[in-house]
Amino acid sequence: MAKVAREMVEKAGVNVDELIELLVKNASAELTTYYYYTILRANLIGLEGEGLKEIAEAARIEDRNHFEALVPRIYELGGKLPRDMTDFHDISACSPAYLPDDPTDIRAMLTVLVEAERCAVRGYSHICNLTAGKDHRTYDLALSILHEEIEHESWFSEFLGEGPSGHFMRRGETSPFVSKFLR
Amino acid sequence: MRASSLLLMRYPSDPVPTREPTATMAMQRFTKEELAQYDGVHSERILIACQGKVYDVSRSFLWQKGKHQALHRAGCDLTPFLKDAPHGLDLLQRFPVVGILVED
Repeated sequence: MAKVAREMVEKAGVNVDELIELLVKNASAELTTYYYYTILRANLIGLEGEGLKEIAEAARIEDRNHFEALVPRIYELGGKLPRDMTDFHDISACSPAYLPDDPTDIRAMLTVLVEAERCAVRGYSHICNLTAGKDHRTYDLALSILHEEIEHESWFSEFLGEGPSGHFMRRGETSPFVSKFLR
Repeated sequence: MRASSLLLMRYPSDPVPTREPTATMAMQRFTKEELAQYDGVHSERILIACQGKVYDVSRSFLWQKGKHQALHRAGCDLTPFLKDAPHGLDLLQRFPVVGILVED
């Protein structure tokens, strides 16, 4: 644990135990989403599905990166991950992104994907709001993840016909915002 | 079957479709004390209130054991917290309304 770092956050008025719980729940959401997106990606096939496979893969890899980036901060603040993986799954900040009953229904697949991203956008916006001006390191981390989650949401939203995403897909590298926490 | 599998079956998806009470459904009236009984810790049924309506969130993955996102507890009126939440009333409206919150 980074004792002084935790003290500074507490002194700034943040309930650190609640913050840790939120970070653990969001770390769970990232890792479980990585798992569920693996299944979704495998089922994105055919004329419509193949076109989505690349962005689903980019979102999947970046969600795993988010998990990796969150874990050090949890331990720095004095928290820890649950010992049991099943417990970890069940405390996720977002609902499981299950494969739709009809995996050939691409619109249903996109709805699962966009809802998962929207849950993440809400979650990191909340953490940013709680830590802004108080816990600079967690804020920076949550903001970096938020940037990527918003881009994921906009990719899937575009395919649902809700309007242009406003930017391009990744070109080669993943996690343009979070990579600084992974070095 | 593992316990976690059973748990997932209990929370098939989130959110669930809205089921607003119809004219034929009696609108149950809850006082704050009555609402507090459905906190998800002492009851299986999990209820929350917001802006005068009582919502049943028992089937929500995000309200397991009556706790939501580390910060909120079921069995009470969450209206004051909505302004700071990263979502609006629209998300709550996806859950069944089972009554109204009344003064004691």
